[in-house]
Amino acid sequence: MDSAATSLTDKKKPATSLQVVQRSVFRYAFALISVALALSVGLLARHSGIREFEFAVFLFAIIVTAWNSGAGPAMVAVICSSLAYDYFFVAPVYSLAVDREDVLSFVLFVLFGLLLAWFGAVRRGAEDALRTNEKKYRELIDASPDAIFVWDAQGKCLLSNAAASRLCGCCDCGLAGLAMVDTYAPTERELARERLDLVKKQGVLRFERQFFRKNNEVVPVEVSLSTAGEDQYQAVLRDISDRKRAEEILRERASLLDLTHDTIFVRDMHGTITYWNGGAEALYGWTSQEAVGQIAYELLRKIFPEPLDEITAKLLRTGRWEGEVVHATRDGRRVVVASRWSLQRDERGNPSAILETNNDVTERKKAEEALRRSHDQLEMKVKERTAELHTMNDELQSVNKELEAFAYSVSHDLRAPVRHIAGFTELLQKHADPVLDDESRRHISMILDSANRMGCLVDDLLAFSRIGRAETQKTTVVLEQLVRGVVNEIAPDTQNRKIVWHIGSLPICYGDPSMLRLMFSNLISNAVKFTRTRAPAEIEIGSQNHNSNEIVVFVKDNGVGFDMKYKDKLFGVFQRLHSQEAFEGTGIGLATVQRIVHRHTGRVWGEGTTDNGATFYVALPKPGGAIDE
Amino acid sequence: MSDLKRILLVEDDPKDVELTLTGLAEYNLANEVVVARDGVEALDYLYRRGSHQKRAHGNPAVLLLDLKLPKVDGFEVLQQIRADEQLKMIPVVILTSSQEERDLVRSYKLGVNAYVVKPVDFHQFVNAVKELGVFWAVINKPPPGSLKKV
Repeated sequence: MDSAATSLTDKKKPATSLQVVQRSVFRYAFALISVALALSVGLLARHSGIREFEFAVFLFAIIVTAWNSGAGPAMVAVICSSLAYDYFFVAPVYSLAVDREDVLSFVLFVLFGLLLAWFGAVRRGAEDALRTNEKKYRELIDASPDAIFVWDAQGKCLLSNAAASRLCGCCDCGLAGLAMVDTYAPTERELARERLDLVKKQGVLRFERQFFRKNNEVVPVEVSLSTAGEDQYQAVLRDISDRKRAEEILRERASLLDLTHDTIFVRDMHGTITYWNGGAEALYGWTSQEAVGQIAYELLRKIFPEPLDEITAKLLRTGRWEGEVVHATRDGRRVVVASRWSLQRDERGNPSAILETNNDVTERKKAEEALRRSHDQLEMKVKERTAELHTMNDELQSVNKELEAFAYSVSHDLRAPVRHIAGFTELLQKHADPVLDDESRRHISMILDSANRMGCLVDDLLAFSRIGRAETQKTTVVLEQLVRGVVNEIAPDTQNRKIVWHIGSLPICYGDPSMLRLMFSNLISNAVKFTRTRAPAEIEIGSQNHNSNEIVVFVKDNGVGFDMKYKDKLFGVFQRLHSQEAFEGTGIGLATVQRIVHRHTGRVWGEGTTDNGATFYVALPKPGGAIDE
Repeated sequence: MSDLKRILLVEDDPKDVELTLTGLAEYNLANEVVVARDGVEALDYLYRRGSHQKRAHGNPAVLLLDLKLPKVDGFEVLQQIRADEQLKMIPVVILTSSQEERDLVRSYKLGVNAYVVKPVDFHQFVNAVKELGVFWAVINKPPPGSLKKV
């Protein structure tokens, strides 16, 4: 059959006009030769004395022509046979004329000839159609990529296609008579018979098996075996080597996934788990066999950080989702996992599965929680401490106020007894003077000195305490004007002195004018006092290169100066660096200056050398800067 | 003690009283002084109550008032005097140890006529008291109803 199909294909395909003509010539030649042969056989028979044989011989030639060459040549054969029959065998012989009594016989012959020609042509057409159909069918099954076998009841091959030949490992080998059991490995042949029995009962059977080649190679195939008519079976075998290889690769990859510590599982869009790796087994406790096929939400009793609808919506929109999810393990433990979901889509783009990679962060969460708790505790402690500090600060301030009030009250109440001591000692001096000796008079005068000094101390202390308590009334102060005022004010006390004043240009500052006045009064008085031994005394009041935030003013003299090692004592209350005999004073002047400067949030410092003058600097915040209590 | 005198000295400290009187004695004004030891006694004198019930009618020419006093303090005495129709015109001089601006302001707001801080120095103190006495009791013409110098 194969060869027939091949020859037909060869004939038809290059159907050039020359070949068509050749074929026609051949067919008509066949008709003429057939008739000529029939004529020869007829004439030979007549000479041999056999009568009425030529009739059958001519009809045979017509039938053969019709059978072989179709309707056209058959008609030619009919005409030629009729003429030859008429000429050689119908009386009058060797003439085309027909006797009256032979007309019927001649017409009968022509009719027979036509009938046979028609019949032969019809048969030929039917055979052609059959042959074409079979060829189409043949081409069809050969075009199938799947191997097709038809087995008889004994399992012998009746029919197979090209793919079957390829499957068997040969291109054009005849498979007819191949036993089905031979396509099974020797160890599996019993199985082949069982399957034939099974398909007899079920009609159709699908399975996978190893196709066994003659050279002992095996090919994995997917088989669809079914019964076909009486005691026949047809088998469609698909070579699934590629798929098996892909599955093998997938299995290898899956085993790689098993190696990771991460928990990986895949679930379909209904939530059914389809893959479960070793990490998942380690974390949750269920084996792959137990987990696959379960519904993930039910198995793991998930708690989501946001509504599941929103998660799903985001997953479908972006293809992924990340978040922290709480899962339950097989033994009921709760684990927190950092979960990453990836959506898988099929070839048509429809969501098909969700790959979930989970990282156990339970311990980290616990640590974070502990950290947060200790942080909270720390914060609480800080708050408590701050509150305590505030309370302490408040207490300190109230204690300070009390102290100020106490200082004021004490110095205030001290004035009266001091006044009384001075007053009555004066009266004593006045009334008892005549009866007193010189020593007693000296004692009385020392009492008076002390009382007066104590009065001064109390007054200064009161003034100092007042600076601490008074409200500051801040405004813009023109320092130069203020300083000149102070200098003029103390001028009467310096009438007998030779003092050279250098008053440079002074900045404008922001502060309490009366306090600043008191400050400069103290500084300048000091300068005047400590230059008493100088002639001429030089006192300079100026401002220095100051930075952008503050102004710096200084009072410089060429007086007795001081030792820098005592600079820390300069501004203490009642601190003095000179004896009362050398320079009178209560030691409260610079303390007052410092207090005023501090109330202006400024700085004050002194520079000096013994016997070589002193300079006092005051730095005050610039106008517009922060000046506060 | 219920005579009407030209100067009412309100002072709780006897030493201050003595020193004040010493000062006033220099101008022979000591006899013109009535001393009240606290605010209640000062008001009793002015209203002719208690131990001063029987004194003659009329107001002192000047009141020398200390601020720190037992029972009723100087501010309160001053307040009551200024609130009273009969007494409001009496010249009041605060004579105190307090240099506090707060006290000074409060006194003037209550209508004081003068505010004198007692100097620690004896001579200054005596001078101050002396001059106060002379000015208010002698030089100044007191309001009607006050006792005049005989």
